[in-house]
Amino acid sequence: MKVLVLEDNPQLGASIREFLTREGYLCEVADTYAKAKDKILSSGYDLILLDIMLPDGNGLDLLRIIKQENIASGVLIISAKEALDDKIRGLEGGADDYITKPFHLSELHARLRAIYRRKNPAGSSGSIISFNEISLNTDTLEAFINNQLLDITRKEFDLLMYFVVNKNRVLSKQAIATHLWGDYTDNLDNLDFVYQHVKNLRRKIAQLNGTDYIDTVYGLGYRFKATEAAI
Amino acid sequence: MKLINKLTYWILGVVFLVTPFTMVISYRSIKDNINNAEIARLTQVTDKVAAQLKAGQPPHQYMLDRPITVKTVAAMPTVKTQPHNYNFYNTELKRNECRMDVTSYYNINGKVYAVYTYNYVTQGRQIIMGMIYALAWKMGLLTISVLITGRLLSKYILSPFNQTLKSIGQFTLGNREKLVLPATTTAEFKELNSFLKNMTDRALQEYSAVKEFSENASHEVQTPLAVIRTKLELLSETPINEDQALLIGDMQSSIEKLVKINRSLLLLTKLNNAEYHTTEQVKLCRIAKDMVRDMEPHMEMKGITLRNHIGSNIPVLIHPVLAEILLNNLLSNAIRYNAPDGYIDITLTPNRLMVKNPGQPPVVEPEMLFQRFKKSNQCADSIGLGLSIVQQICSVNNFEVSYTYQNNEHILQVIFAEEALQTEQAITVEETFFAADTALA
Repeated sequence: MKVLVLEDNPQLGASIREFLTREGYLCEVADTYAKAKDKILSSGYDLILLDIMLPDGNGLDLLRIIKQENIASGVLIISAKEALDDKIRGLEGGADDYITKPFHLSELHARLRAIYRRKNPAGSSGSIISFNEISLNTDTLEAFINNQLLDITRKEFDLLMYFVVNKNRVLSKQAIATHLWGDYTDNLDNLDFVYQHVKNLRRKIAQLNGTDYIDTVYGLGYRFKATEAAI
Repeated sequence: MKLINKLTYWILGVVFLVTPFTMVISYRSIKDNINNAEIARLTQVTDKVAAQLKAGQPPHQYMLDRPITVKTVAAMPTVKTQPHNYNFYNTELKRNECRMDVTSYYNINGKVYAVYTYNYVTQGRQIIMGMIYALAWKMGLLTISVLITGRLLSKYILSPFNQTLKSIGQFTLGNREKLVLPATTTAEFKELNSFLKNMTDRALQEYSAVKEFSENASHEVQTPLAVIRTKLELLSETPINEDQALLIGDMQSSIEKLVKINRSLLLLTKLNNAEYHTTEQVKLCRIAKDMVRDMEPHMEMKGITLRNHIGSNIPVLIHPVLAEILLNNLLSNAIRYNAPDGYIDITLTPNRLMVKNPGQPPVVEPEMLFQRFKKSNQCADSIGLGLSIVQQICSVNNFEVSYTYQNNEHILQVIFAEEALQTEQAITVEETFFAADTALA
């Protein structure tokens, strides 16, 4: 999968590239509006990450060009501004999703995968994500272990999906909490709650004789341990 | 005391104070004038008599009906005409009388004659009585006219001042609207207005500079935070030992806290900037029900029972994002600071939203917890901005928020402004109680 990252901060651009490359993406970084424009117009990308505030232009203008030229790439907007206007303008302008800085790389990845799935429903057997004995239906929000329906809540489904998408990655409790409850649920004791959810999920998978892929990483969080790396 | 009353009292005070002096002056002036006129008249009479004497005519003809006496004296005095005021008691009329005597001396044909005559003049007491009578009227009329004209004129003269006061009263920095003051011809008001104008313009400038700075600062911090967060994520993927993992974990949770503080401060800044202005009403009941449903697992985990008194069809003028944050913060607090196996009582009517929960009494005044970074107990996870945000949301929407602690209950109440209500509909309050079961654990 080919991804263009438009990010003017070199360190952040490098982080994203490193992470996405490890995930098997073909990742290019552009740090200015002009470079990004050239790249977008010259080669096709599956996904484009657009930073809105750039030293030499506005990411929303690039979005307009992408739509004018009928470029089929999925677009994820990255912005430091949480301004609602930007969000609305971005989504109305044809962006597929919006993420605000500072984000977790695993969250960014989950969003990219979601956009990719929506853009390419025909590929990889539609809305089913499978890993070994686990399969997740993103339309019906049902999970199966060895074709047996797993009785889980919506949050647990989201959690499992997050694990499967970010397999072999260390996911911090904070990243999981943000993924499940968003940015503004600041006051809740979400970290305890992440523990509860993970515990319940493991128990339920075990009940259906599924493999326990979820590892606790001491001091850091959890990891969905998959021996085979697959994209 | 109103300015006009103060001025009125002072003017009247000065008038009453000065009046006795003017009375003395007027009395003396009147009395002198009367006396002088009488002296002149009597002197003229004595002159006439002297002229007759000089002409050798017998003066008695002229003296017939006048009290005139002519005597010869030895020497000529230095003062030719000597008036003399004479007061006495008239026993027949039973009153005081005032008489003016004039004695003039003439040197006629080597002989010195003293011609004496007199007349009754108006006595001082009568003058004073007349003056007091006039004074009573004068003071009465003066007082009434000062009171009336003062009130009428002050409306006119002070109207620019009152308008200025009104303008300042309505002036808020948050609106970013410049102060508009009425034109005036009064020098002091002109000065006041130009002073106020300069001051508010400068305040606006500095206010927006500070705003811009804090917003930019928050935005600028986002990118470095993103860098640190992503680098830590990448670092945690590398082969590390347990000690290193703990260090990274600590850093991550601190970064997380920093992110939350920054995000909350940014939200507060935006609230100040009225970025969440709305003209559409939302069904607060629907948002509240969704929020309660989302939080049920959290309540279950802590064994909290929900007492739900959320009414139906409650439209409130508030931005939907703010409505969510408001409810989220209130409910999160109620969960976080709840007593073991406690409850949350949520009431939503068209007039108000109330969240009650039992819990430890706050160590500081409850209202103080609306201040930024003020925490009831130094709970490590809390950043102490939740209630500030609640208050700010209420303030931009003209809601009234209060926090009290009564009967071991924390009570947070939001009263919606009248204008935020569409209709005072009778609402049906559904009461659904469900006990928390520990299915999750």
